[in-house]
Amino acid sequence: MSAWAPLFAVVGALTFLFTRRTSDRARAVTYPIGVTLFGLAGWQLACELVRAEVFPTPFDVLAASAELIESQRLWGDIVASLYRVTWGFFLAAGVGIPLGLVVGWSTRSFLAFNPVIQGLRPVSPIAWIPIAILWFGIGDLAGIFLIFLSSFFPITVGTMAAVRNISLVHQRSAMNFGLKGIEVFRRVVLPAALPQIITSLRIALGVAWLVIVAAEMVGMDSGLGYLINDARNMGSRYDLVVATMVVIGLIGIVLDMMIRKLERFDEVRWGYVER
Amino acid sequence: MSERAKQRAKVTFEGVSKSFDQRGGILDVLEDIDLTVADGEFVCLLGPSGCGKSTLLNIVGGFERPTAGRVTIDGVEVEGPDARRVFVFQEYGIFPWASAWDNIALGLRHLPRSEREEIVQRTIDMVGLSGFESAYPMELSGGMKQRVEVARALAVSPDVIYMDEPFGALDSLTRLTMRSEIIRIWQQERNTILFVTHDVDESIQIADRIVVFTPRPGRVAEIVEVGLEHPRDLGSPEYGEIKNRLYELLGVRHVI
Ligand SMILES: Nc1ncnc2c1ncn2[C@@H]1O[C@H](COP(=O)(O)OP(=O)(O)OP(=O)(O)O)[C@@H](O)[C@H]1O
Ligand SMILES: [Mg+2]
Repeated sequence: MSAWAPLFAVVGALTFLFTRRTSDRARAVTYPIGVTLFGLAGWQLACELVRAEVFPTPFDVLAASAELIESQRLWGDIVASLYRVTWGFFLAAGVGIPLGLVVGWSTRSFLAFNPVIQGLRPVSPIAWIPIAILWFGIGDLAGIFLIFLSSFFPITVGTMAAVRNISLVHQRSAMNFGLKGIEVFRRVVLPAALPQIITSLRIALGVAWLVIVAAEMVGMDSGLGYLINDARNMGSRYDLVVATMVVIGLIGIVLDMMIRKLERFDEVRWGYVER
Repeated sequence: MSERAKQRAKVTFEGVSKSFDQRGGILDVLEDIDLTVADGEFVCLLGPSGCGKSTLLNIVGGFERPTAGRVTIDGVEVEGPDARRVFVFQEYGIFPWASAWDNIALGLRHLPRSEREEIVQRTIDMVGLSGFESAYPMELSGGMKQRVEVARALAVSPDVIYMDEPFGALDSLTRLTMRSEIIRIWQQERNTILFVTHDVDESIQIADRIVVFTPRPGRVAEIVEVGLEHPRDLGSPEYGEIKNRLYELLGVRHVI
């Protein structure tokens, strides 16, 4: 038995103890660190108890991360994944938001399109992988298509629901002050729906980041998902597998933080406080 | 009455009835409403909850169609909302995504910029919101939000204003202030105002005439002339008389 597991646990406990009386802002940083340290303690302890050779300890993963960073390969794979997600996501937003606005606002197009959208929505994007490869071959296009699909439905459905929830008073205000046509969209429909649109963008980006890894594991020859598969196939390098998982998690957090910035604008802040 | 007869009729209700299809049948909400409101008159619609006051206002505002009868303004039948006649809603109708300034400018989109800015600023000063031009509704108190709502309506210089319990959500002190301000503004602008309330005191404090409704289906029980000069003495015997009369009409015994 090494001293690492108890050390992690003790440092974790001390983190809680010493920052107990600091501000909420400081604790928002220190408490998660404390929890992570406890997690590391459990992980380390489990590795030592089980003594499974293939499963990496936190230190193996740390070393593997250094290896990944040095190998230069990591950057290429990160760029490949982000490239597919960015294109797929922006295309989905570009199509999904206008479509959701129109389908949500016009009863006729809602009647026509909603059942189709609701019928396609429950199909997991993963199930589309064979078709994506059939249509686009192995490569970026297939990935972009899959991300488009996985973002398109949350964005469209979220936008649609937001528009259909616009309060009657606001609709009547628009009518009363003589807003017509495109003005109604610009001044009422879009701004009223915007907070919920941003929420759906956030959900969509989260899903996209989940799906791209799965897609790259099955049907692509680059990207973080492919890196995981490759690490396992070349001699069961589970240390590299976990290191890549950590990278995926960190990038996911950064993406979410970036999109959450949208919630700060004055025009949408009303949508996130109590209504 | 003779004096009013000389004034031009602004809004007329002729045999207006309204029923709604509801689960399990038809709900008669308004029955045969006849009413003429003179130009520049301040009329309160007073009645118990659910008697159809909001429904009547929605009809004259053009948001709902009567089942029978018709409503005319300046002799023209009302067929839809009209930017010359504006609503101040029972719940907040201002846009939470726009600043106070942009909310108030909503009805002035087609004016040249300088004219628009001048009107918005004047209206903001009139309702006492100077300094809060760029604030968003969520940064304002309930009373201030209601002022924005009133200002949004006043900015377009409407010839008729519909107010559906505009001060219902405010505390009693703010409500008093808002009442005297609405009277001050009305004396200045002389719009025709239809004001829904179920507050007896409120109606006597502000209205020229009070239209009292029966419980649902709402009919006009009686039209009470207030005939007191502004500012009104809330302790005067006339005030008390009107109050007793209204309570009687509403079927509530007024115990002192
Ligand atoms: N769109 C509608 N569909 C069906 N019934 C309705 C509709 N609008 C109003 N009603 C019914 O009409 C009746 C009168 O409603 P209304 O809102 O006009 O009352 P009110 O006099 O304004 O009451 P309050 O003082 O509580 O606001 C109520 O019983 C209500 O249930
Ligand atoms: Mg009402």
